[in-house]
Amino acid sequence: MSLRLETIRECLEGIIPGHIATCDRAGMPNLAYLSQVEFIDNEHVALSYQFFNRTRQNVLADSPVRLLLTSHLTAAQYRLTLHYLRTEAAGPLFERMRAKLAGIASHTGMSGIFQLLGADIYRVLSIEQVPGETVPPPPPPVNCLNALRRTVDRLATCSTLECLLEKAVDCLEKEFGIAHLMLLMHDEARGRLYTLASRGYPESGIGSEIPVGAGVIGICARERTPIRIGFANSEYAYGRTVRDGIAADGQGDALETAIPLPGLPDAASQMAVPISVAGRLLGVLYVESATDLHFGYDEEDALVTFAAQLGLAIVHHQQADDLPDEPAASEEAAPAVAGRPLTIRHFAATESVFIDDDYLIKGVAGAILWVLLSDFAERRRTSFTNKGLRVDPRIRLPGVSDNLEARLVLLQRRLDERDAGIRLTKTGRGRFSLAVDHPLQLLES
Amino acid sequence: MLDSDNAAFIQTGVSISLAACSGDRMPSMSRGLGCKLIDGGRQIAIFVKRSQSAELLENIRNSGRVANVFNLPSSNRTLQLKGDDAQIRPFDPADLPVIESHLPQFLEEVIPFGMPENMVRALLAYTVDDLVTVVYSPNAAFTQTPGPKAGDPLGTAA
Repeated sequence: MSLRLETIRECLEGIIPGHIATCDRAGMPNLAYLSQVEFIDNEHVALSYQFFNRTRQNVLADSPVRLLLTSHLTAAQYRLTLHYLRTEAAGPLFERMRAKLAGIASHTGMSGIFQLLGADIYRVLSIEQVPGETVPPPPPPVNCLNALRRTVDRLATCSTLECLLEKAVDCLEKEFGIAHLMLLMHDEARGRLYTLASRGYPESGIGSEIPVGAGVIGICARERTPIRIGFANSEYAYGRTVRDGIAADGQGDALETAIPLPGLPDAASQMAVPISVAGRLLGVLYVESATDLHFGYDEEDALVTFAAQLGLAIVHHQQADDLPDEPAASEEAAPAVAGRPLTIRHFAATESVFIDDDYLIKGVAGAILWVLLSDFAERRRTSFTNKGLRVDPRIRLPGVSDNLEARLVLLQRRLDERDAGIRLTKTGRGRFSLAVDHPLQLLES
Repeated sequence: MLDSDNAAFIQTGVSISLAACSGDRMPSMSRGLGCKLIDGGRQIAIFVKRSQSAELLENIRNSGRVANVFNLPSSNRTLQLKGDDAQIRPFDPADLPVIESHLPQFLEEVIPFGMPENMVRALLAYTVDDLVTVVYSPNAAFTQTPGPKAGDPLGTAA
């Protein structure tokens, strides 16, 4: 095959709809428009199966298949010869196509009519360019490969998880020019994702949660596959799906709703990319834009590669923090402070912590904070280790894959945002200190 | 076969494509640059570029069977016509105004979708000596507008 499919992927986005031609057993041709062609690899594409129409009847009757695709960038046309292999009606590819189709349906006034019944997988037998006039493509807004290289260089300079996460979102913003984004971590035990960093929203939303399976982000997490949508649509608006999911929640393990999830109310382009290492989902990168078709295959490739690199680095830093290699700092008792006391209220059932009646955090991070502040109040203790927290019977960490270091970053950020005079500072590998500027009054509810 | 509404529709700023199959059922297709009704719609002429349509024209020569789709981007309205008596005729320069008037109508349709005009003009660019006319009598028509009625025949199928 002289032309590689990966070099003409813009033709698959459906901006200029493709055509599919088939032939029935009697030799009568049939021609139809395609909503969607999904790139799988250089030898395979998937077409959306939405209706049992003549095209499908012909395909199932062993018709050879031809596509005519057109680049909206250059006007170049390509004829592809395909051979039908099989149909998938569930799984990552199906969910990727279903999400993309929801955007296309909404954009073309076909919401409720376009429903994906299956992803038809074809082998690409040949690609030929149709002779004809073309125009030079406009320069891309970003050189994704170069942005990726600079990002990877910058991530390599970090020595802590906190630095890594901060650099990661910073690079997405500065190197890739992405204005609205979130980094969410996976809470395996609870089937949730919690926001650990964001850019481009009035409120950071750090600590906000989304259930696995809900909206673009949740489906990306459940299927462990990138989800990319090019047009505004209501079906995958995550705000609504989160609200819908709340009713199903158990009382003791309720979804974090006190902290609103950030997000563009009128997002047109959305992309969520899983961060996975060795088959384990660590989190999700989510980017969005108010303009249509803002993210293409190149951006998807770059972010998938970035997420793979970030995942390995997260695992590295978390493991390093589990093995403190520095001598224990001398246990310095904090000097007494005067002034107005802060009232810290703890609800054991949900591990929620309130500072002066304002909600701060709950769950594992809430339990950790309560233990830290209890030790501080009792013994003026300021120095702590990850290892110590992990064996502390007062904190019920959910097993080995607890993402303890990520939860500490979450807690640190929530405290910094609240600016209530309680701070966590990393003091070495697997070690941190607590600083409290006010007298504390601890109340257990 | 073709009512006046559909006859008018296929002469608006629609996207036009034409397909035919080889003896071993391999289909091929090309974009059309315009459409003309002959004898009140009893026959239809589609103009294609010879340089883009070698396989299509070969298939038409051998079988005479064609599938012809018209789609209006702004409404998704889509119509497929079929015929089994297609013939290839030299392009008659007297038909040039049909092609010349189709381009601005098509531009008006697709520019609101963000298509750059120079790209669309390149897509439909032609030289007169490269044009060829395919004429056939439609004997079946199907609505292909997405929805519950997609694929339904409009008239008596052959």
